[in-house]
Amino acid sequence: MDKGGTMPLSWHRESKPHKFCPGCGHGLVLKVLGELIDEMDLRERLLFGCDIGCSLLAWNFFNVDSVQTHHGRTTPVMVGLKRGKPDMVALAYMGDGAAYAIGSQHLVNAAYRNENIFILVVNNTVYAMTGGQMSPTTLAGQKTETSPYGRDTELAGQPTRGAEMMAAIAAEGAYVARGSVARMIQLKKFMKKALENQLAGRGLSFLEALSTCPTNWRTNARETWRFLEEDMAAYYPLGELSGPGKEVRGS
Amino acid sequence: MSSKESRFRLLKHEGVKGTFIICPGLCKGCGLCLERCPHDVIDWSEELGIYGTPRAAPARMDDCIACGICQLVCPDSAILIQKKQKKKA
Ligand SMILES: Cc1ncc(C[n+]2csc(CCOP(=O)(O)OP(=O)(O)O)c2C)c(N)n1
Ligand code: SF4
Ligand SMILES: [Mg+2]
Repeated sequence: MDKGGTMPLSWHRESKPHKFCPGCGHGLVLKVLGELIDEMDLRERLLFGCDIGCSLLAWNFFNVDSVQTHHGRTTPVMVGLKRGKPDMVALAYMGDGAAYAIGSQHLVNAAYRNENIFILVVNNTVYAMTGGQMSPTTLAGQKTETSPYGRDTELAGQPTRGAEMMAAIAAEGAYVARGSVARMIQLKKFMKKALENQLAGRGLSFLEALSTCPTNWRTNARETWRFLEEDMAAYYPLGELSGPGKEVRGS
Repeated sequence: MSSKESRFRLLKHEGVKGTFIICPGLCKGCGLCLERCPHDVIDWSEELGIYGTPRAAPARMDDCIACGICQLVCPDSAILIQKKQKKKA
């Protein structure tokens, strides 16, 4: 173990400790990814694309080729890279705001075209980097900077269930799932399947990870876990929604 | 050891079931592991960590079952649990 210390070998040591806040779920999602890069021997093959938002804090996170692009545009950038270099494994890493607000057109069209890339969305229910404004996935009644009395669904609509939307339009061969940083072993299993789906050339892989943002939620550790496991999981059920050998929900 | 690497110096705490290894240079003191430990092994350190707050420190190693949950939930990858091999009968 001493070779990598406590960190996965694919983590770029010079950039650690990483720039995410204490208790931020981005670090947990990227730890799972780092372990899979090591275990699946993807160091020379992965193209890591990150968005604007807190995901950009990962621009120098890994010892792999990385690109940081415009808000919501990571999907088309990684589609282009994958088409140009089909032997590489393309990953578009972004937040809920990037995926379901400004970048939703790209998500929909990548799904219809069944692009052979992996889209990994970190859902923390807020626009975190800009200070915690309401995002498409902010829960009904949830207080944010721009919904100080709680999200009013009459005005702001129902929170976006992105994985369900992707499953509804995904082509044959696509993989769609939702995991959570509260269930790290399951999250790793889903992420591995998403990467394998691309390696097998089956088309789009989509994984939403329910995540934490203690800074903008203004929560201590106990309340952070509670919000994630009770409030978020109640509206965003975990499981595989499409793909080969999927785990049926509730099992 | 280079100054960069001394950032990642490891502290080892021996327990009955395993060794709790923590990298003080990585722990930001979020407290997620404190909440998750099923045997309440982890507490806050006396000295301040890299973010100027107390960090996670195993205070009751006798109770540690080396389940590895704290390692699993650490967003900064600051913890490593080494389970002791069971002696063959
Ligand atoms: C085209 C454009 N519009 C708006 C912004 C401002 N902006 C920066 S980050 C961000 C929100 C990020 O939220 P999310 O995608 O959920 O990621 P998080 O920070 O929560 O991880 C916004 C709106 C921008 N940088 N570029
Ligand atoms: S603001 Fe939230 S999402 Fe961004 S790094 Fe901090 S905890 Fe993570
Ligand atoms: Mg967000």
